[in-house]
Amino acid sequence: MLDPKDRLIRCFSSVFPGLSQEDILQTSADAVGEWDSLSHVTLAAVIQEEFGIEIDPQILQELNSFDAFHEYLERSGAAYIE
Amino acid sequence: MKLIEALEILRRPVNCSARTVRVSLACGFTPLHLKTFLEAQLRELFPQSNVSVISGRYGDLVGNIERQDLSELDAMALPIEWSDLDSRLGVRTLGGWRPDDLIDIVENVKESAERIQKVISEAARHVRVVISMPTLPLPPIFTTSSIQAGSIETRLHSIVGLTAESLSQIQGVCLASQQYLGLISPLNDRYDLKADLAVGFPYTLRHASSVATSFSKLIRNRPTKKGLITDLDDVLWGGIVGDDGIDGISWELDRHTQMHGLYQQVLSALAGTGVLIGVASKNDAQTVKQAFERTDLLLSKNDLFPIEVNWSRKSDSVQRILKTWNIGADSVIFIDDSPMELAEVKAAFPELECRLFPKNDDQGIWDLLVDLRAAYEKTIVTHEDRLRLNSIRGAGDWQRESTLAGGPSDDFLQSADASITFEFNGGCDNTRAFALVNKTNQFNLNGKRFADHEWRRLFDNQTSFLLTASYKDKFGPLGTIAVLFGSMHGNIVHLSGWVMSCRAFSRRIEYQCLKFLFDNLNAEEILFEFEPTQKNTVLHEFLSDLLKMPPVQGCSLAKHDFLARIPSLFHHIEVSVHA
Repeated sequence: MLDPKDRLIRCFSSVFPGLSQEDILQTSADAVGEWDSLSHVTLAAVIQEEFGIEIDPQILQELNSFDAFHEYLERSGAAYIE
Repeated sequence: MKLIEALEILRRPVNCSARTVRVSLACGFTPLHLKTFLEAQLRELFPQSNVSVISGRYGDLVGNIERQDLSELDAMALPIEWSDLDSRLGVRTLGGWRPDDLIDIVENVKESAERIQKVISEAARHVRVVISMPTLPLPPIFTTSSIQAGSIETRLHSIVGLTAESLSQIQGVCLASQQYLGLISPLNDRYDLKADLAVGFPYTLRHASSVATSFSKLIRNRPTKKGLITDLDDVLWGGIVGDDGIDGISWELDRHTQMHGLYQQVLSALAGTGVLIGVASKNDAQTVKQAFERTDLLLSKNDLFPIEVNWSRKSDSVQRILKTWNIGADSVIFIDDSPMELAEVKAAFPELECRLFPKNDDQGIWDLLVDLRAAYEKTIVTHEDRLRLNSIRGAGDWQRESTLAGGPSDDFLQSADASITFEFNGGCDNTRAFALVNKTNQFNLNGKRFADHEWRRLFDNQTSFLLTASYKDKFGPLGTIAVLFGSMHGNIVHLSGWVMSCRAFSRRIEYQCLKFLFDNLNAEEILFEFEPTQKNTVLHEFLSDLLKMPPVQGCSLAKHDFLARIPSLFHHIEVSVHA
């Protein structure tokens, strides 16, 4: 079983296939051209399905980087749900 | 399939030189993840091809169908939802749910359904259209509680039901089964209110994946099986006839063997659609013969042919049955309750699908029956389907008499009292011709298979032609057994496709087919778009003999050579020519 961070990297990689693992760790909506509203919705759907969570739409708007998603998952405890 | 898996499938490299399967996803909502799932599922089902799924504008289902350039498409997928029939049946429009509004909604749904049906009918003339009727729950618009189905709700369902019935009868239209969808996507886990409000995508990921599964399977033209070989004891009936006696075997509720009755019922239904049913049983032939005299059997003995009852290896029986049917093992399912027998047969015929009859597992038998229906699926049962078994029996008689006469000699063929009816340009809607082209292997010019729309496009050109031949003789009718199609270029016929049923071999029908082209199309030469396949050796041998050399792509036959090499023909010929 992958650790939560690796699972999150896999989610990002599926939506932004052009990014390397190192790029993903640094990535944010501002820095990635393909990160538009459609890919944001897709990324959120992939992460919610992968971690079995529902992200509040208000909070989702603020999750605009890899770090932001990672911190959210750690904070909510979702990272440790199998 | 999970969304992440779908996205990862789409990341796989594509083969730029491979054919692209083009599908239009026309829907009234944001296609979002449904598009992703559909593209991924199609990639899985068409591993040798590229896949392109295109979508249209939000909120305009009819426009998305109408605007589509159908000539470039392989299929169109239409997930129709309630909000496409009236936007007030969705949550993104606030149009009112007062009692008066409900009457208006019903009228509007009726009009929208008619409009959608009209554009689908038009599209289906050019491309395969797969449709799901509304899959989401209706919103709380009714005066009754959600427990009760009031008159408005039943009227809405009735309109949708009648529309579905009409659509299902249109050639080229495939409706997704609500029952199948219900099995893989429970109703209470289909609607994603939050995503609908946020981005106009109303499906949960699970439901989107399920609808995509349904669509992709309907888009794929899977070849169906042609024959089924069944065991008898503890399969066709409950009990061992040799031990329990003729009256000891059963298929009834009281003796807990009802599932064997249901199995008989399904085999009987399959036989009615032209599926060949044979028997391979290790048993005493006389005892089995007596068992088949029981009048309460749900499967007529006439539906079973051949019946191989002996004590030899099952694979030997299977081999004889396949030889009699003259079809490949990959077109047949073998059913037995013994894993050992299944393994023995599988070792001899690796392409044969071998299925265990789970005799003490009612649910397992039920699942087997569902699978059998899918394996032998047929949208339309043709006249030839009903004739098939009798013509195979007739072929046995033909073979016997022919052998007694020392082969299909001139005398024997003359005495067969055979007639061939040619139908020229009878229309590409000839379902038998389409089916024959898509399933014939041995006498097949090049093995090409066609989707509905590809088939229809072949005949768009004014120079193109379609010729079918039906045959009968004193041993019985064979129905439509040959199909030829191609185009005319001056006095040269380009023959793009030619298939003939294996049941019609050794009757010199193939010579009559070519003679028809020379005589009736005033042709001086026929060009064959021949391609060798792993299975078309019969046609290869025929052309080798006729051309006096092995056939190659684009080989040709001149009329004077044909007339010099043609054997004596004795058929009575009838011709029906359409404009």
